[in-house]
Amino acid sequence: MIDLERYPRQIALRNGVTLVFRPMCREDVDRLWVFFQRVPPEDKMFFRQDVSRREVVQHWADTLDYDLVLPILALEGGRVVGDATLHRQRSGWKQRVGVVRVQIAPDYRHQGLGTAMVRELRHLGEKSGLHYLMAEVIEEQGAAVRAFEKMGFDRAVTFRNFVNDREGGIHNLVVLLYRMSSSPDDPRRPTGASGG
Amino acid sequence: MAGTDYHCPHCGAELRGGARKGGSRPGGAPGCPYDGMAYAALRAGHDAIYFGSWRRIDALPTEVRRGYHRIGRHLEAIRSELASHDLPAGARDLDAALSALQAADPREERRDTLRFMDNALSYAHRAIDDLLHEKGLPPHQPMDFSEWYDVVEVPFRDEW
Repeated sequence: MIDLERYPRQIALRNGVTLVFRPMCREDVDRLWVFFQRVPPEDKMFFRQDVSRREVVQHWADTLDYDLVLPILALEGGRVVGDATLHRQRSGWKQRVGVVRVQIAPDYRHQGLGTAMVRELRHLGEKSGLHYLMAEVIEEQGAAVRAFEKMGFDRAVTFRNFVNDREGGIHNLVVLLYRMSSSPDDPRRPTGASGG
Repeated sequence: MAGTDYHCPHCGAELRGGARKGGSRPGGAPGCPYDGMAYAALRAGHDAIYFGSWRRIDALPTEVRRGYHRIGRHLEAIRSELASHDLPAGARDLDAALSALQAADPREERRDTLRFMDNALSYAHRAIDDLLHEKGLPPHQPMDFSEWYDVVEVPFRDEW
């Protein structure tokens, strides 16, 4: 179980604005819904669910389980300006793999918020005993790809013409992986053969 | 261009050519751009290397070797700071920096040496930013301090 005592946390951005990071709670439905309504259509095209419908966000709030999905919100006052989620599985073959997703309000991009949220997810992943964090990003979302790479994610694979948007367009999907300290694939991890 | 003009008496930053630029502090001590900032010595240590002569196109082998050893000392300082924090992501970045530095060998004319040294410095920067993030502070921006250094060019400047 991830220790959430570190929240709420104040995070200052490069431009001096201070935001609050904290996990989403049930009372956040309306502010999160408003946040998603302001997401540009070109970003919404790649969402897995129709977040313009309030009942979708309401369902997330009704089924909140931080052990499965931990949504961290970035708030300026009462307004949500960023949403980062860590998805995990309790059992099965991917229980050591966390999937991360980040969405930033258009007027908060290019201020370091995306990087700060990825840094936060990386910390949570390290503290939750995961071996890998995985991010899936459409190749055209260059800023997101760069934010993940800046934080140590490696491009594991690019699937050509792999996913479709809501209008039927086909896009390349970039899968990025971050190897945790406890990853068995970590080249810096001592091996038994060396005696170290 | 060589050497350090003075050390900040407050944070220990190695500064060059600018004691007069920052005006005077009470008591006549020179101003320091890092004074009062969190992890001032680590920021200053990073920037002194970041803007160091080893990164110039015409750097001499001795300057590259000096830069190499300076990065080693800088990583040791970060390690000391991280030791008092429960920050596995930061420790991981430091490990990556040490691995990169190990791969560089300034005693030989290796084409990759500068790249590995630059990688080590980038990972070190990330570890400092991990520490700052835990305090809720924005990442360190070396270019904000460039006027304090004899910056001619930064061949490997970060993309963002």
